[in-house]
Amino acid sequence: MAPVTRPVINPVPGARRSFPLFKAGLWRWVILIVAGMYFLLPLYAAIRFAGIKAYGDLIGASGFTSALWLSVRLAIITTLITLALMLPTTVYVHLKLPGLRRLLESLTILPIVIPPVVLATGLLQVAPASLKNTPYILALEYVVLAMPFAYRTIDAGLRALDLKTITEASSSLGAGWTRTLTQVVLPNLTTALLAATVLTVAMVLGEYTISSLALYTTFPVWLVTNDQSSATVTVAGSVFALFITWLVLLIITVAGTRRGRRTGRQVSLFTVARQDNRG
Amino acid sequence: MTMETTPQTGTAASSLSAGGASGGASVRLDGLTRRFGTVRALDGLSLNIAPGELVALLGPSGCGKTTALRLVAGFDFPDAGAVLIDGTDISRIPAAKRGMGMVFQSYSLFPNMPALDNVAFGLRMRKIGGTERRQRAAELLDMVGLSAQAKQYPHQLSGGQQQRVALARALAIEPRVLLLDEPLSALDAKVRLQLREQIRTLQQRLGTTTLFVTHDQEEALSMADRVGVMNKGQLEQIDAPDELYARPATAFVAEFVGVMNRIPGVLESPEAVRVLDVVVPVKGSSSSVAGSSMVDVLVRPEGLIVDVTENGNGIVTTRTFLGSVTRLGVLLSGDVRIRVDKPSTVAASIPPGTSVSVTLPSAPVLVAPPAS
Amino acid sequence: MDQTATAPEPVTGSGAGPVPADQAGTASTVTEVVRWLRRVAGVVPFAAYLALGMLIPMIAVIIGAFRADNGSFTLSNVKMATHGVYLHGYWESISLSIWASVLPAIFGLLIAYAIFTAKRGSVLRQLVITTSGVFANFGGVPLAFLFIASLGSGGLLTGWIQDIFPHSWDGSQLYTLSGIVLVYMYFQVPLMVLVILPGLEGLRTSWREAAENLGATSLQYWRHVGGPVLLPTFMGCLLLLFGSSLSAYATAEAMTSGTIALTSIQIGTFINGNVLAGEVNVGKALSLGLVLIIAVAMAFYVILQRRASRWLR
Repeated sequence: MAPVTRPVINPVPGARRSFPLFKAGLWRWVILIVAGMYFLLPLYAAIRFAGIKAYGDLIGASGFTSALWLSVRLAIITTLITLALMLPTTVYVHLKLPGLRRLLESLTILPIVIPPVVLATGLLQVAPASLKNTPYILALEYVVLAMPFAYRTIDAGLRALDLKTITEASSSLGAGWTRTLTQVVLPNLTTALLAATVLTVAMVLGEYTISSLALYTTFPVWLVTNDQSSATVTVAGSVFALFITWLVLLIITVAGTRRGRRTGRQVSLFTVARQDNRG
Repeated sequence: MTMETTPQTGTAASSLSAGGASGGASVRLDGLTRRFGTVRALDGLSLNIAPGELVALLGPSGCGKTTALRLVAGFDFPDAGAVLIDGTDISRIPAAKRGMGMVFQSYSLFPNMPALDNVAFGLRMRKIGGTERRQRAAELLDMVGLSAQAKQYPHQLSGGQQQRVALARALAIEPRVLLLDEPLSALDAKVRLQLREQIRTLQQRLGTTTLFVTHDQEEALSMADRVGVMNKGQLEQIDAPDELYARPATAFVAEFVGVMNRIPGVLESPEAVRVLDVVVPVKGSSSSVAGSSMVDVLVRPEGLIVDVTENGNGIVTTRTFLGSVTRLGVLLSGDVRIRVDKPSTVAASIPPGTSVSVTLPSAPVLVAPPAS
Repeated sequence: MDQTATAPEPVTGSGAGPVPADQAGTASTVTEVVRWLRRVAGVVPFAAYLALGMLIPMIAVIIGAFRADNGSFTLSNVKMATHGVYLHGYWESISLSIWASVLPAIFGLLIAYAIFTAKRGSVLRQLVITTSGVFANFGGVPLAFLFIASLGSGGLLTGWIQDIFPHSWDGSQLYTLSGIVLVYMYFQVPLMVLVILPGLEGLRTSWREAAENLGATSLQYWRHVGGPVLLPTFMGCLLLLFGSSLSAYATAEAMTSGTIALTSIQIGTFINGNVLAGEVNVGKALSLGLVLIIAVAMAFYVILQRRASRWLR
């Protein structure tokens, strides 16, 4: 009966895992290594294929600068319109019409579900010629495509904020409406707004369907048309595009981890993932 | 409502105890040790639980109580030591085959099953036929007073109801040992109190040996036959609740269980200490404070004598009404703050600002090294 | 307190309630409408923009689908869009989308599970999530070129494979249906990882432990608890992947030039290709068909979702 100190009882190998189905975690490494090869080998091959020289040629290639510049301009305009439209709307709905939030959520799903090629068909049918003659028609339509990202990120940011309490606290302290909005709400939304901006920019820089159908040479369209003249430069351009995507996401991640709420982060990753549709 | 359910409750319980060989198994923890990296979460825990007994493990978070419970349940395995049920070492048996019922902190009900199916789950895993299974599950739901909620999904139940279903689910398999992992901590005070009594009543009626882990001393003291206080992976003391309160073995237990005052004193000898100008005997030994004559004397708020006098050694600073007693905050000379409980009728005439004299009866006291 | 708070209630109730259409009632209905309009005013710009940018183009597509070149009503567009090469295009699109959603869903789930069971906050986990973010986002033209440069004819990897297994992969397979599935997986798998991970993380440890405690094996846990709980999320992800590959355009265009008929590409050719007389609006009929496929998929999803998540409501 005396408390004998037993020798170390080591359970049967693997018994420490409560579910013995996948022992030792070997399966995990098999999956991840296969996945890693699938994702990295094509990338490696593409970089090798293009060669160092192609990256230099890329910058000098005819049309590259103007195509990139067009994409950048479109990105800036789209972002400005999107934020100007979606920020007040989302804040307003949160404060005054919370009952409409569900409806708005479903409405902003539509641009995700409707294939961009369908949207392009309709747009080119109804748009007046004066609008079709300027590339900025793209920016106007991209706003529709950016709405889902913008709404979701701003909505998540506002939810994390408990907007109602904040605005009530602010007005109870004597702050007016504009003051509350600019000095209390906005500073707390910087992460959400940054995420929305970055997502919109990424979307515009990668959008191909509508711009190619509307016959404007944005950066992705240029890649395709240039393919005929030099394959290596095109592949270099593709790697360049991947690098830009990576950079853009890095910004989100850094901004998100610096002061991000979990909800906001998840939503932003989710919406990032939606961008491929537009490509 | 109660009138209606009581007779049924009786039948349910009797049919259960008649049908099952559950009753009480004895539990023995023998030198249980579990390391996480360099941290010893459990450091040679030994403990015997008699058949049908309810033992609570009480301690601050990180004291190892939950680790101990998980080792008994089989979710984790000890680095050394053994768990014995009725004298059989079960340390190597996987959790699924141990036949222990466990109630988790919260949200452990399967969200995709109504209450009845949750309760029946363990029976289903034991390949018990549908009719019998449902009948026994219904009996158990009845026993916890939730017959009407049988078809409801967990998210439609209140927190208290969910935990009652979880209790029924754990009891359905007629466990040899019932394990409770802070089952009440997520509930609000009133529900907690009701459920506390319900668990205790059921446990006593079924005679199921129960190990209960909590950080809430009130819960432990009110429910358990014996309470084990844990600190840093070790058992400091295990005793009946009243013993634990009245005769704490160590300073840690004394301060963890109930409210305790620390008053500076000087050791006159290993057996006597001078405090508040009286000399009182030291309880147990003063070995824990060996090497220093400066100590803290530990006294409960109701263990102090307070009289209203001019130029006393203390001044009443606060007065908190707690029902039958009122707690006075007293500032002693030397910037020592203590709490004293007086019957509320007496305390009514001692408003803050009153000068009082505070002293001790000559009963033995616990001493501890001075707080830094 | 309570009384003063509730006092105004009946007053408003009698004013705006179902009073017969006497003058007071009409007046209050009017003020109700005005008040409602004023409240809704804040979302008018958004609604207007959405109408101009999405609703009107969509309506144009639907109307156009039933119009002949001269503007009169016709069913010939729809008839043409559901026959021959276009019907074939729908089937190709649907089967491609099914393959390119089911396979990535399975692989994505496996990868997500692999990192879900890894230690929380570990480097591996962080790495997989961030990488998924990048690759899920990497669709379109660059992706096509990435694969053409590596696994197309003359691609670097194709060369390696040829060295080891001479008569297996020569690059031409890249332009077949299975080749495109392989390419789509490049963004579909990471997308799946990202969207299923929150669902996996929603599975509480206490459910697994409770099941284990009650005697369930790993398989039984997944069959009775983990699987059913994850199912609605999984189906949502599947729908997302399906829609994503159905509407993918750029990758498809760059890769399938002529080899495979996909509806989205066919629609594109109607916009600025050389369209034959009498077929001007066939592209719109095709678009309508594509929207209907998505609608059917969503309806399917809603029905299944309802059945799978009875316990949520």
